[in-house]
Amino acid sequence: MPYIYADPSRCTGCEICVLTCSFTYFKVLNPKKARLRVVRMEPAIDLVIACRNCERAPCMEACPNEAIKRTSKGIIVVDEGRCDGCGRCVEACPLDAIHIPPNGRAPIKCVACGACVQACPVGCLKMAYSFEEAFEKRRNYAERLKEIILSLRSSG
Amino acid sequence: MNRFYMGRFTDLFGMRYKGYAGRILWIDLTHEKVRVEDFPENLAEGYLGGSGICARILYDLIKPGIDPLSPENVLMFATGPLTGTLFPQACRYTVAAKSPLTGIWGESHAAGHWAPELKFAGYDAIIFLGRASKPVYLWIDDDEVEIKDAGEIWGRTVLETDDILREEHGDDVKVACIGPAGENLVRYAAIMNDRYRAAARSGMGAVMGSKNLKAIAVRGSRDIEVADPEAYMDHVRRWHRKMLSHPFMPDRAKYGTTNLIELMQKVGRLPTYNLRQGVFDEYYKIGGETIYRKYLVKPVADFACLQRCGRYTAVYNEPYRCMGGGPEYETLCSLGSRCGVSNIEAILYGNWLCNNLGLDSVSAGGTISWAMECYELGLISRDELDGLDLRFGNEEAMIELLIKIAYRRGVGDLLAEGSWRAAKKIRRGTERYVMHVKGQEIASQEPRAQKSMGLAIATAARGADHLYGFPVLDEVGFEKEIRERFGEEYLPEIADRLNPKYKGFMVKECEDYMAVVEAVGVCKYGTQIPPVFYYQDIVDASRVTCGMDVDVRKLKMIGERIVNLNRAFNIREGICRKDDTLPERLTKVPAPLGPAKGHVVELDQMLDEYYRCRGWDLETGKPTYEKLLSLGLEDVAEDLLRKGLIRKAES
Repeated sequence: MPYIYADPSRCTGCEICVLTCSFTYFKVLNPKKARLRVVRMEPAIDLVIACRNCERAPCMEACPNEAIKRTSKGIIVVDEGRCDGCGRCVEACPLDAIHIPPNGRAPIKCVACGACVQACPVGCLKMAYSFEEAFEKRRNYAERLKEIILSLRSSG
Repeated sequence: MNRFYMGRFTDLFGMRYKGYAGRILWIDLTHEKVRVEDFPENLAEGYLGGSGICARILYDLIKPGIDPLSPENVLMFATGPLTGTLFPQACRYTVAAKSPLTGIWGESHAAGHWAPELKFAGYDAIIFLGRASKPVYLWIDDDEVEIKDAGEIWGRTVLETDDILREEHGDDVKVACIGPAGENLVRYAAIMNDRYRAAARSGMGAVMGSKNLKAIAVRGSRDIEVADPEAYMDHVRRWHRKMLSHPFMPDRAKYGTTNLIELMQKVGRLPTYNLRQGVFDEYYKIGGETIYRKYLVKPVADFACLQRCGRYTAVYNEPYRCMGGGPEYETLCSLGSRCGVSNIEAILYGNWLCNNLGLDSVSAGGTISWAMECYELGLISRDELDGLDLRFGNEEAMIELLIKIAYRRGVGDLLAEGSWRAAKKIRRGTERYVMHVKGQEIASQEPRAQKSMGLAIATAARGADHLYGFPVLDEVGFEKEIRERFGEEYLPEIADRLNPKYKGFMVKECEDYMAVVEAVGVCKYGTQIPPVFYYQDIVDASRVTCGMDVDVRKLKMIGERIVNLNRAFNIREGICRKDDTLPERLTKVPAPLGPAKGHVVELDQMLDEYYRCRGWDLETGKPTYEKLLSLGLEDVAEDLLRKGLIRKAES
């Protein structure tokens, strides 16, 4: 199941992906109307948060109107016609990856369109197509962390 | 505390130009009143935003001769029309007031995420009047604007303040605040935003502190609209491609500005031992390569920034264990070579301290290095320095002084006044070693090795300042760009950094352009170094983002208008040609070492050319009545004429 993934040690936190997203779907520049977010945390972490299209999706389960569905490609989408804006999906999501935009009724979430991937100036946003690939990425990341830790130990 | 809510009535009269938030927030701290006004369209047409509207509004609001630390001073934050959009590096704001360091025009700029957030909250600018009766901070959540009690955060450091305010209002809140230095009215205190970003120069933090204003916390959820949504993304992609394909980019990501240490050393332009010389023997210990290898955690970018020259660094070992943003070249030099310090961990810790205490690291380093030279020459005794052995290279004393200055403890109380005021107090010949223009310490630029920089520092409106004109086109040979911008006729002299010829022209052109860049809210990196974008790109951006009918000629005029307005502000405060000067060390004493050996700054020659290009009076360095008229500054011309400060040309 595809989703947007970014290496938090390479993401610089410029939010160009966020602005691109809001412009793609709303034709305005507003990070609060973007389908993904970048959260800056101390120390030195810029974390891109976008929907993971979970296999057992809490948002789908929480929706009382069956307005949240999965497409044939595995992407979870919101059916605005059926949504009554109760916001239970927003509460249910453990990643904060679905939210109701300002002045909006139905929630929005990342649908893995890839507009942000092209816009990323660092080239760190990726479309992860399967859990195997995601696993691979995490392992690479762990390898790099190991290097950092070892170098720290030798210098300290 | 009172709560103020505002309706959305201003939306009914929305501004014609997109890109702007369309509203200006007026805060009367004395009476705790909040007022929202529409952004006047003619202000946008004449001055764009940012530094431009600051120059205009503050010329009208600040009466000549007032004490900068009194309630009469006005503190103004302003973003530009491109701030918060997808134009590369469009994330900046201007903060301006009368400077407590120089007593003339004061303005400073910073990047980060705070300025875009202010626009997303629906405000282009905030203007602070008066003084709060007790410490307060401003909380902006879209239309809800509240002056809140700052009892809990007053006295805290920048990082603590940021933590507390985000704990209180939510993690997505962006904070601009002052540290202890600003509270204690250190004359070169900075305003810090997003933890590590500093609007450092000319003491804006002290003005904020004098108003009892600790912080401005913002959250916004409104839209920034663009004028031509169909064409917008095509333009954005073009700008981004242009920026990313520049050959400077890989080094920028790898080193940020830190490798300027090596580059400046190579051309003998690295201020060392209080600008005694332009080369530092141990430069490699404090340079970009060392930082990249040992201390860089990762490059960080500000909002919409493609260049990611921001650093996040960490020192893992005691006694200088620290972790945070920076350093920039300026700090590496001012706390490093300028003070003769080669211990990079001490410099990184000093940088962290300056950020956390809210100090301008340039003026702090400048003041300390002045004290070091005076101490070594025996002009200041050890007793006067609280027993510190303040020779060049004593990093422990330097670190201790930074803390003393921020809290005005012991000798720190004197040094917090800045080197110029401190020398005037001590006398004994220490004045000769103050490296300042108009009261502000010269930044990490050795002008004897780049003549245009000497002129720019002498003429800058906010006192010694390399960024006002930022004439770096001759620094490492951008001949192609010089040809594109100014044509063939000035080459090759204009591209030679040791040749004073045509530098008056270049500084004038660069000052005008930099004023426009700051007015639209874009970074000088990318517009000036590397010189990727020029007027035509700003024209395109203004058209597609704001729907403004501008062209290159109009923009150049706006830039010139802003510079002349800044000058007019200073003329009201008594500035004239005799103040556009440099310390004798730079104009009379030849550079003793390095590639620029034997050179001095030929200031008078360049000044003549500069005033001629500006259309200013050669003798007084003041704009003529006619010049101001031609720029559409009739009221300013009349004002200065009435005060007897300028003359009409004899016909």
